[in-house]
Order: sequence, then C-alpha cells, then structure tokens
Amino acid sequence: MEDELSFSDIYGGRLALQRRYYSPSCREFCLSCPRLSLRSLTAVTCTVWLAAYGLFTLCENSMILSAAIFITLLGLLGYLHFVKIDQETLLIIDSLGIQMTSSYASGKESTTFIEMGKVKDVIINEAIYMQKVIYYLCILLNDPVEPHGISQVVPVFQSAKPRLDCLIEVYRSCQEILAHRKATPTSS
Amino acid sequence: MCAQPVTDTPETRWQKVLYERQPFPDNYVDQRFLEELRKNIHARKYQYWAVVFESSVVIQQLCSVCVFGVIWWYMDQGLLAPHWLFGTGLALSLIGYVLFDLLDGGEGRRKSGRTRWADLKSALVFITFTYGFSPVLKTLTESVSTDTIYAMSVFMLLGHLIFFDYGANAAIVSSALSLNMAIFASVCLASRLPRSLHAFIMVTFAIQMFALWPMLQKKLKACTPRSYVGVTLLFACSALGGLLSISVVGATLFALLLVSISCLCPFYLIRLQLLKENIHGPWDEAEIKEDLSRFLS
Amino acid sequence: MAYQGGGGHDHGPSPALYPVSPESLFTCRTHNICMVSDFFYPNMGGVESHIYQLSQCLIERGHKVIIVTHAYGNRKGIRYLTKGLKVYYLPLKVMYNQSTATTLFHSLPLLRYIFVRERVTIIHSHSSFSAMAHDALFHAKTMGLRTVFTDHSLFGFADVSSVLTNKLLTVSLCDTNHIICVSYTSKENTVLRAALNPEIVSVIPNAVDPTDFTPDPFRRHGSMTIVIVSRLVYRKGTDLLSGIIPKLCRKYQDLNFIIGGEGPKRIILEEVRERYQLHDRVRLLGALEHKDVRNVLVQGHIFLNTSLTEAFCMAIVEAASCGLQVVSTRVGGIPEVLPENLIILCEPSVKSLCEGLEKAISQLKSGTLPAPEKIHNIVKTFYTWRNVAERTEKVYNRVAGETVLPMDKRLERLMSHCGPVTGCIFALLAVFNFLFLTFLRWMIPDSIIDVAVDATGPKGAWTNQYPYGRKRGGDNETSKTR
Repeated sequence: MEDELSFSDIYGGRLALQRRYYSPSCREFCLSCPRLSLRSLTAVTCTVWLAAYGLFTLCENSMILSAAIFITLLGLLGYLHFVKIDQETLLIIDSLGIQMTSSYASGKESTTFIEMGKVKDVIINEAIYMQKVIYYLCILLNDPVEPHGISQVVPVFQSAKPRLDCLIEVYRSCQEILAHRKATPTSS
Repeated sequence: MCAQPVTDTPETRWQKVLYERQPFPDNYVDQRFLEELRKNIHARKYQYWAVVFESSVVIQQLCSVCVFGVIWWYMDQGLLAPHWLFGTGLALSLIGYVLFDLLDGGEGRRKSGRTRWADLKSALVFITFTYGFSPVLKTLTESVSTDTIYAMSVFMLLGHLIFFDYGANAAIVSSALSLNMAIFASVCLASRLPRSLHAFIMVTFAIQMFALWPMLQKKLKACTPRSYVGVTLLFACSALGGLLSISVVGATLFALLLVSISCLCPFYLIRLQLLKENIHGPWDEAEIKEDLSRFLS
Repeated sequence: MAYQGGGGHDHGPSPALYPVSPESLFTCRTHNICMVSDFFYPNMGGVESHIYQLSQCLIERGHKVIIVTHAYGNRKGIRYLTKGLKVYYLPLKVMYNQSTATTLFHSLPLLRYIFVRERVTIIHSHSSFSAMAHDALFHAKTMGLRTVFTDHSLFGFADVSSVLTNKLLTVSLCDTNHIICVSYTSKENTVLRAALNPEIVSVIPNAVDPTDFTPDPFRRHGSMTIVIVSRLVYRKGTDLLSGIIPKLCRKYQDLNFIIGGEGPKRIILEEVRERYQLHDRVRLLGALEHKDVRNVLVQGHIFLNTSLTEAFCMAIVEAASCGLQVVSTRVGGIPEVLPENLIILCEPSVKSLCEGLEKAISQLKSGTLPAPEKIHNIVKTFYTWRNVAERTEKVYNRVAGETVLPMDKRLERLMSHCGPVTGCIFALLAVFNFLFLTFLRWMIPDSIIDVAVDATGPKGAWTNQYPYGRKRGGDNETSKTR
C-alpha cells in the first residue's frame, strides 16, 4: 500500500510525505522537499556575478571575474553534495530496527541504522530553534548501563523540518509498530 | 478570623489592611489613598547671605589659581626677582604659621600631638630636596613642547579646582588628588622658567599657595568668620589687581566670574529650591540613624 | 538543533499530540495566560514562588498558563513542571543580577512565536527589576494582546537611579491594561512612580501555603529562642541585628538566637559573636532552602524581622503561621500584613526593636502569648494562593473585556503621558517595533506557526489523562507537597 500526502515545513514550503506500508510490521516514510528550482539558482548566480562585475569595474582586476566563476561552480557543487537534502526516508521494521536515509541533491546518500533493541521510544519533542519554537520527531536510545535512562536522542527529518501535523502522522504509525513489538516481544 | 467579621453594611469603613476580606473591589481607591505622602521634609531652607558666605571658599581657590598664574607670568617675563618672591613667601609663611597656632590657642596642635621640631624638620627636608632637585626640574620637560606644557598646566589647575575639598560631601572630592594636580601644574610651569633657582622658588611658592594657605583659610573661617570675609575680599582684590596689570579683558572676565559665583549662583540656588518636589512616604527605605560600630569596637 | 527541549530524558511517549482548535479556547471564561519574568526557578525568591504558586492555582481553575523566563545555565529550552505547567527557558543573555539585557527588539521574534503558538490572550509580567517582563509588555502591546503587570517591590524617589527606573516604569505601564500590587503601600508607591490612574491598580497580597508552615511545639528549644530568617544584606537590616544581639544577650542569660540566611553582612554577625563570646547562644545556619525554613522556624518562640523596606513581608506571615510571636520594623507594607495582636511593630532602631523584643519576652515568660496552634489557625485563613488566584482571575476577566489601545492611540498616549522627550523616543521605538513585527508577520505568517499542544487549560491533555503522575518535572525541586 502506498499513498502520498502533502504537508508544509516550518518555513511554509511544500513537503510531500510518501507512506509505504509493506506489511503490518514494516513501514516506510519518505519526506521529499521540492528540488532545487532553476529560478533560485539563476538568481544566486546572477547576484554573485553582478557583485563580481561591480568589484571588477572598481579595481580592474580580471582575477575577480574568474574567481567568481570558480566560487559559483564550487559553491553549487558543495551545496548539492553536502547541504541540499532532497529526500529523507524513515524505514521502520518491527523486528529489525529503524533506518534513516537522507539523499542529497547530487545523489549521495547517507544512511543510519538503529537496531530495535536500542530503541527505547519514538517521541515528538519541542525545541527552541533559531528564533522559533518547533516540534521535531526523535528516537530515544536505551542507555546500556542504566535500564531506564536514555543515552542519546536522535532527531529525525532534521533537514526537512516538517510541521506538527506531518509529524503526528509518522508518530502514530511508529507507535503502532512499537506497540506491536511490545505485544510480541522478540529476542534482540 | 481573629478580627471581627466583616459586615456587609455600606457604612463599613475601608481599612488599610490585607489580612481581612473587605467588601470592596481590589482596585478600590479610598479617600485615604496617599494620605501618608509627605513632600520636601528634608529640604533645607537657605539664607541668601549664608550661601554667599559659603561660596567664598570657591572664590578663594579661584583667586589662588589666579595669583599663582600671575606670579608665574611675572617670573617668566623677568619682572619679578626670585629672591624677592622667596623672601616675601617665607615671611608670609612664618606669619601664617604663627597665626595658625594663635587662632585656636594651640588647641589643634595639642590634639594632633605634632611638635614644632617636627614641623621644622619637614620644612627643612622639603626645602633641601626641592633645592637639590631644582636643576632636574628645570630640564625635566625640555623634550616636551611648550604648548603641551601650557595645556597640561591648564588641565591640571582645572582638575585642582574640580577635585578640591570645598566642604561638600561628594564622591568626587579628593584633596590629595587636587593637591597633586596643582603641584604637577606648578612643576610643569616652573620648568619653563629661565633658571633653576626660579624653578625652585616657583615650586615652593606653589606649596605655600595650594597646601598651606587653604589650611590657614579653613581655620580662619572656623574661628573668626568676620576676618575671613575680609581676607577673602582682600585676596580677591589683589588677584584682580595682579591680573589687571597683565590684561584688562582677562581681569574683567575674572571679575564677572567671581561676581556670578558669589552672588548669582546663590540667588539661583534659592530660586530653584522653590521648585523642589521630593516625595516621601512609608515606602521609603528606613535609615539606620544610630552608630552601630560601637557594638563591634 | 540549537536547544533541546526537556533534554530528552524522562520523556515518555508523548500522549498528547493532538492539535487543538484555537476557537474552543475562547468560548468560556478561561484565559490563556503567559507569565513573563526573568525570575523563576531554579532562582529562589519571593517573585519566583509567587509566579509558580499563582500559576498552579490558575491551572487548577481551568486556565491555560505558560511561563516564559530566560535560560539558567544548562536549563534551557522547554520544561514541564507539576500539573503540566510549561516553562520556556529562552536563550537570552543575562546582564546583571539575573536580569536579561534589553534592546527592546531582539526578543520580539521568539516571544511573538511563543505568543502565537500558545494562543496567548493575556500577558502577565512580574517584577519591575526584570527587563524581560518589560520587553514582553512592550511586544504584547504591539501585537494587540492584553497586559497585566505585577509589581513586587518598593522604590524611593530620592536618588538618580530611581529617577531613571521610575521613568522607564512610567513608559512601560502607561498603556498597560491593569497593574497588580502586593500591598496598599506598594500601590501608592507604584501609582506615584508611574503616574497611573489608581483605578487600574489592584491590590492582591502574596500568600503562603499554610500547610507548609505548621507549628510543632515539641521541637521548640527549652530556653527562649529568637529566630531570624532573611538574606543578610543591608536592606534587611542586618546592621540592626549587630546591635540587638549583644544588648539582649547581656540582659537575658537564657536567650538564644538562630539566624538563617546568607549574605554579605554575615561577617558583621560573626564579628559580634566573636567579640561577645556568644558562640553557644547565636547560631548562624547559613543559606537555607525553602523547604528547611519551616524546620528552623518551629525551633523558636519569637520571630524577628529587621527589614528596612518591604512591599509585603512573606517571612513574617510564614513565621506567624508557624505559631511564633512576630516582632518587626514598621516599614513599607508590613503594618498591613498582620493584625495588631499577632505582631509587635517597632521603629527601625536598636532601641525600639529591643523594647519590642523585651515586651514579647515578658509576654512569653508570663505565659500570655497565645498557643502556637491557635495563632496558626488564625493566620492560615488570611492568605491562601487559591484566594490570590481567584482575585487575579477577576483582574483577567476585567482586562479581557477591555480593548487594547490601537497603534495611533498608543503613540498619542506615550507622547502625552511620558513627557516630551522620553515620550517621543519611546513612540518612535514603538513604531519600529510595529514595523519589525509586520516584517516578521510577512516572513513567517501566523498561519504557518504550529499551535502548541496544551498541557493544561480547558482542552488540556495532561489534566485528565495519565493519573499516575508523569514525572516530567522530576527535576522540579519545588513542587508542592500536599
């Protein structure tokens, strides 16, 4: 089963949430941001080049122009490869664990896997972020030393920053699976 | 509740208490609101002539600075022989020294427990050292330009006037700083005089003017106020006269300054006093009036 | 993530994340109240406990209450205290004496975000020493929210600093809807300082929790004991103590002193103790935690308060509630606090205080003092937080019916009320603030700010569910122990 819902992030941008229910114990949530638009790319490039040209007319050094070209190219590459995340995926499998994948605009993917034995809970928390107070989904990890403690808090959908309604959707599904796991304890 | 229960009759008088529930809204304003407000209970009433009399301290100090400047100018121009100044200064100092003891019949000396021998010793030590170091003083500021020296002296003398202890109880008052600034100014000016003897005599004169003379003045003011007024007038006149011999415009301006400080400023103080509105009431922080240090000593 | 709310630990699965439609909150006479002050737990003091207790009682009465304060060390982000009281510890720079620096603008984005997401209708600021409280008032007026201010302190009129602070208070309060003072003296003071109409100033005293301060006659010392509990600073009259202690100890050989509290003047008391060899009779306990105060109070027979200024003295009410005979200076609002048969009022001098104490001692010796239990039963009816909350609620109801001055009226009022220079400056600042707010509204429209999930209030998710008492406020050391 698969469906797609439309939400917005905390800045008001559009987000698409794809849910794939493979089985009652395995679900995938995929949050995708809109791709890098040509318009904003052109705008940034033009600004940089205009600024460089302005500097060039002032000091008449052609190095500035070539430097500006390099900076835009390198900046774009770096942005696409390290900053811009197009898609974030949360895959939760009852008996195995939780896998978080973020795919960068360049196609690079980074994946984190947390095995189910370490997962204590999935919750929605509030935090002060920049000049905002936002909700975010996070995974609590068990502390190996202290049975009731928490060793780490892993935030999910860190770059997309969806709003509360979207988080609640994901949260409910996760809780269903976690409840399912508690009902049928597995050795992990 | 310990107090009598509140009856809901309209005659119930409002009370300024918090422990009772009163049949009034919380924002009720009674006629007795602010009845404990007092205004200007600590305001002082000034008498015009008393204020004028008190202002003479400022006049004296201004005149001291003026006389010092005039003497320096005469020395610098070579119109005044250093020996003559030294002789006059010494004679006046001796007269002042005798007067200082005569005024209160030796009361102050007995209290401080200082012997005449100690006075003589410190005077000798001071004179010897100043004399010994006067060649150094003379060449001390050679590398500094004359304009800088003048500017510095003016600032230092201004500072002397600002920080001088006129009898006000303020944080800015510091007689040590004030005296140091005056001496510094005198050293600066002395170094511009023609010879080292001039420098020595200038610094000695500054000590007499800025350290010894105010002490005598204070005693004069406390013991014989009448003669103090006389001395102030005489001193002011001589300062004006000296200045007149140098510059007419300067003397006029100085005279205007003296008149405004001694006559106009007191007048304004008394006029502004009428506008004073100092509010007192039960919210003021209480003052501890007793001296509690006796329990610790 | 800049600051993590709650620190993650002791967070169970959040049960309550169902969005609340904001309309439902406005139907009945309940309010969404935001308490703003620089002073809150873990800082300790009168204002802090006032805010906490008042909020708890308002939650009990069905209102939604949140508290906004600045971050205390590692405590930043969002925390929940008992009964789901939500506290925002904002990462603002502390400048002096736990008060934040104010630029009048830098806190607007965050405060606006909070006011919008919590659907706040009334801003209640506390303490005139708190810059954040004044900032919040300023922003709230720009946003068109209703404002209430509680003044907890008295100010003189004599020195330069009070002239300046009084001017700022005038500016801050001239368009505030309602002001609450803790005593009638404090009301007179505030009305004069801020040049207010006394009709918009209500007097609602502080309260003490009488169940926390019960007498225990068995723990009393055998010999007569005078208890003093206060910070040892000049304003609390510690210097007077240095005169009283030797005088009375010489006169009564069986008299002891217990002094609780810490402060710069402690050294004086230590010197007195040293000089008069009173080590066995004067005990200095040092800083006390609030929960220990009662245990100290019940050890004595007489409570001595030597404050030089006081808007509403909680200490004497606590002491009377523990059944002690109170001897106090007659300053500020103290004469209004206790009836004459429970307190001996003296002038702030060693002589007068010694006379007052001697009177109390002679009453104690002749046995004419009422029993502690009796005093407690009288005092416990005087000041309760429920009563305070009830009266504060009336203020909120009144304020909710009032209109907030629109921008043009506000500017007019600022200019006519605060003098030509200050008025114009602050009117200009108000305009800038409004422009900044408009910019923020354009950047992040209210519609894309998530409505926060209520923990308390009419649709509160916490008040009804989960009876096993969630341990979210586990680090809340001051939760009420009923």
